[in-house]
Amino acid sequence: MIRHLTWHGPTYCAVLAYVLPAALLALLLLAPAEALAHRLNVFAWLEGQNIMVECGFNRSSPVRGGQVIVFDAADGKELLQGRTDDQGRFVFAVPDAVRQGHGLRIEVNAGEGHVNDWTMSAVEINEAQDLSHGFKSVPAARASAAAVAAPATAAAGQPVTAQEVRAIVAESLDAGLGPLRRELAALSSGQPTMRDVIGGLGWIMGLAGIACYFVSRRPRQKP
Amino acid sequence: MHIAEGVLSPAVLGAGAALGACALALGLRRMDGQRIIEAGILSAAFFVGSLIHVPLGISNAHLLLTGLLGVLLGWAAIPAILAALLLQALLFQYGGLTTLGLNTFTMGTSSVLAWHVWLGVRRLWPGPGGEKAAAFCGGALGVAFSALLTALALAFSSEGFIVAAKILLLAHLPVMLAEGFITMLAVGFIARVRPQMLAAGGSQAHKNSPHEE
Repeated sequence: MIRHLTWHGPTYCAVLAYVLPAALLALLLLAPAEALAHRLNVFAWLEGQNIMVECGFNRSSPVRGGQVIVFDAADGKELLQGRTDDQGRFVFAVPDAVRQGHGLRIEVNAGEGHVNDWTMSAVEINEAQDLSHGFKSVPAARASAAAVAAPATAAAGQPVTAQEVRAIVAESLDAGLGPLRRELAALSSGQPTMRDVIGGLGWIMGLAGIACYFVSRRPRQKP
Repeated sequence: MHIAEGVLSPAVLGAGAALGACALALGLRRMDGQRIIEAGILSAAFFVGSLIHVPLGISNAHLLLTGLLGVLLGWAAIPAILAALLLQALLFQYGGLTTLGLNTFTMGTSSVLAWHVWLGVRRLWPGPGGEKAAAFCGGALGVAFSALLTALALAFSSEGFIVAAKILLLAHLPVMLAEGFITMLAVGFIARVRPQMLAAGGSQAHKNSPHEE
């Protein structure tokens, strides 16, 4: 009974071995790159006085209406919750707990068993916030900066305070770092690369080889 | 259809792992030692299949291939799926190590169920049309069974069973169609090239094999 199942020569093994994964790999290569990832990605950063959360299955398919819950990372208490907009984004004001040195754990639930989270430490938030402290006085600072730029005005004599310089620098930094942050979010999405795929295929064949070895050592059972 | 980590309680995960271990033991006991390479190849197909999204429909759904694995491998589909799921968890971060047992159970069981659907339809409707219908049903229902079992597992989380099942089945409707056709084509191809392989799906199928020696 077993005899006809033993080894049919290279034909059908070769057919299967080449046709199936080759067809799938071809499909994979033809598929647009952004249609590949399936892991839920969450990324959050500080923008001024707010924290911006962005989540999606990849860059082009944001999570719409996903549930966002913000927890206090120190004691696990739920601080606030909301839903993402059409761009997969959710913005909230920095909670008071951060000032007390508590970090935040931002959990996103996109349903169907897709959950992921992102943790921000209090130090990270507070440092960035201190840098942009006095953000509200930026228009004033900008006015005085303009005044500095115009040497002939009377205001030239007025020294720009360190506070105002800090606010101006923070604002330019924020503007300059925006695209970088988005890039970072895309990078941290950890999409499977071709290396992962080929490595995984090799692993499966290796495991099958090991299994074959152990089966071949077992005394053949009579049917 | 991978359940990510942190969705289900440890009790549900533990029960899932126990069920997964039982399914694996059954699968290993009943699989034919001569079919390891086929199992490996189809495991590779399952592993890569999760990267292929079906662009139709509303949601984020990818190929599962549980039906195809069941029809072609029988019980051997369960260890094949376990290997592929482990590597997906490690390399792609799909699913996770704590949910590995549960995911193996839901998808392995749906593979074996799809295989029995295929066997049943073939028996009820002999002939070339029946062969095609059987393969299509096996492929499509493999996805449906996975959706239902996953919904059952999610019923223990905040989402209720009915809601989860409705969302999962709706989202996977295009995948069901796609996999029905894929399974139909693959099985038709193998039936032409190497019909013995289909007869060898599992120990029970040997009785129907025209190549019985």
